[in-house]
Amino acid sequence: MLVLRPVVLTDLPQLQRLARESLVGVTSLPDDSECLHDKILDSCTSFEQTVQSPGPESYLFVLEDSATRRLAGCSEILATAGFSEPFYSLRNRHFNSASRELNIEHGVPALSLCHDLGGHTLLRGFHIDPTLVRTAYSELLSRARLLFIAAHAPRFADGVISEIVGFSSDDGHSPFWDALGKHFIDLPYVEAERLCGLESRAFLAELMPQYPIYVPMLPQAAQDCIGRVHPDGQVAFDILEREGFQTNSYVDLFDGGPTLYARTAGIRSIAQSATATVKPGSSIDARGRYLLCNDSLENYRAIVADLDYRAGQPLTLDTEMCAALKVSEGSPIRLIAL
Amino acid sequence: MIVRPVQVTDLPALLALVRQAGCGLTSLPANEERLFHRLRWAQRTFAEQVERADADYLFVLEDDDQQVVGVSALTGAVGLREPWYSYRVGQTISSSPDLGIERHIPTLFMNNEMTGQSDLRSLFLRPDRRQSHHGRLLSLGRLLVVAEFAHLFGDKIIAELRGSADEKGCSPFWDSVGRHFFKMDFKHANHLSWLGNKAFIAELMPRQPLYACLLTEQAQAVIGKPHAKAEPALKILTAEGFAHKGYIDIFDAGPVIESPVSSIRSVRDSQLLELTIAPPDDQAPMWLIHNRRLENCRITATPARQVGDRLIVDRLTVKRLQLQPGDSVRAVPLRPQQPQAVAA
Repeated sequence: MLVLRPVVLTDLPQLQRLARESLVGVTSLPDDSECLHDKILDSCTSFEQTVQSPGPESYLFVLEDSATRRLAGCSEILATAGFSEPFYSLRNRHFNSASRELNIEHGVPALSLCHDLGGHTLLRGFHIDPTLVRTAYSELLSRARLLFIAAHAPRFADGVISEIVGFSSDDGHSPFWDALGKHFIDLPYVEAERLCGLESRAFLAELMPQYPIYVPMLPQAAQDCIGRVHPDGQVAFDILEREGFQTNSYVDLFDGGPTLYARTAGIRSIAQSATATVKPGSSIDARGRYLLCNDSLENYRAIVADLDYRAGQPLTLDTEMCAALKVSEGSPIRLIAL
Repeated sequence: MIVRPVQVTDLPALLALVRQAGCGLTSLPANEERLFHRLRWAQRTFAEQVERADADYLFVLEDDDQQVVGVSALTGAVGLREPWYSYRVGQTISSSPDLGIERHIPTLFMNNEMTGQSDLRSLFLRPDRRQSHHGRLLSLGRLLVVAEFAHLFGDKIIAELRGSADEKGCSPFWDSVGRHFFKMDFKHANHLSWLGNKAFIAELMPRQPLYACLLTEQAQAVIGKPHAKAEPALKILTAEGFAHKGYIDIFDAGPVIESPVSSIRSVRDSQLLELTIAPPDDQAPMWLIHNRRLENCRITATPARQVGDRLIVDRLTVKRLQLQPGDSVRAVPLRPQQPQAVAA
């Protein structure tokens, strides 16, 4: 059974394997054991801390095969984007160009560097074993974060964002980067993204153009990348979109990938998840497939299971489920249909 | 040949010239009614009946058969009635010593820096008269007027040189910049500009600085580059001390060259001399001579010899200038750095 749980220090070697496999644009997963070590420690501290309101905490989850102990994926929540360093994005908005005398009026889209998205909770660091991409476990890995937010709402902001990796070619070229960022940071796209992971992202962002970039002046290939999702990021995008996340006018300043946004309270897995109490049982006449979690903090666990859920009644879980979720009779449980 | 203020009776001749010039002469309309208005206005300008902000000095080059063969203009001041925009080519630095990054990025800043300065424009000389010193007379004659009546002009004289364009009149800079904000081609925009809508058009242009590296390579290549047809004008004015200080036209990126009035050679070196009639010797250098009048302005170029504070010229020159021997003129050698010009 694959179980989602908070990362622990002994996961380091496997986490680094996942980081190595992850998409170039997933900068929150640098292939660097020292960085990852620090990330794990930050996460452990965050799970242990008493938190009244969202701050710099980061919560890193791993998806583990309970039989083999092999990690099959990871995902992360940063409680507050832009808390310890500015969170930069490009805002794509129209500048109006009008002349009453000439009877001309039209909007010209332009990209401006901004910190507008600072303060939101950020979903990041999503990576799953390629063999599991189009399975329920992608849903689990992504949405268990949302169930965690539902269970620990005071720890998170009123809005949640996620940057989806933008398009780059198989040989590591991002047309958006080549047309824009490269002029300001004379590095190949892959190297720039790598530095973002290792160094500070804001540090690089501050080298980027401070004046608006008029979109029609970019080469067509770069324009086409604005808001375009990397093929390998599509699943992550689709999951969040079904949760009610929407693209808006913000894109990533390196690769032009879209930023998704949702009001926390309106996210499907948060608004529609139900709570129940556990009733251990031996056989389940399953009627549907669900994501479920235990609502705990440092012992947080989430799984995918086929259940017979009836609103307002105790929820029957078999022994393996109870063990995976570390719950017993009467424990509270949170669930949402897959 | 003389340079003189345009008259309303020059309308047919001037219209023919403007039509011949085509789109190279954006500031003169090829429309009879509009051109007539322009001539009337120029007459009022020479009569000092208009404010500096509106002053439009329009000169013609006339041969000895009273045929108009060229035109040139000078404004009192740009930008005082409606904004006058240019881009300044500056730079932005993207630097991180830690990462070994140091990028110097040419950046175009829209500005109104030239507001209040006077603009040389609309020079066109009939192709069959582009020999000898006619172009120089038509261009530099205006500068003697500036020298004589400095109070009517700005501290600087500027000239917008036509930018690079292909044979069809398309500007690579326009295609990379302006087109996106107008959704019209350069010729159409240029036509609106002819009709006096330049400020309206400018208002549609992007106000934020533009990183030159994001323009097409073709557009980057023509920033500050004059059209081949503007090269002679550039050469003449450069020799006078005009320089390109980084300002360019917002439509076609042609250079806006400039000089403080007091540094312009023909202004600085011009002298007040007394006309004397004598047969000029064979080696006499060419001088540019102005009769020191505005409304009845006459400027000519002729072989002359300076002797003390007198300028020796032939009888015809005195007649062309509508003066008498003994009258005072403003004169300067037509060409810079000719040692024999200051001999004697």
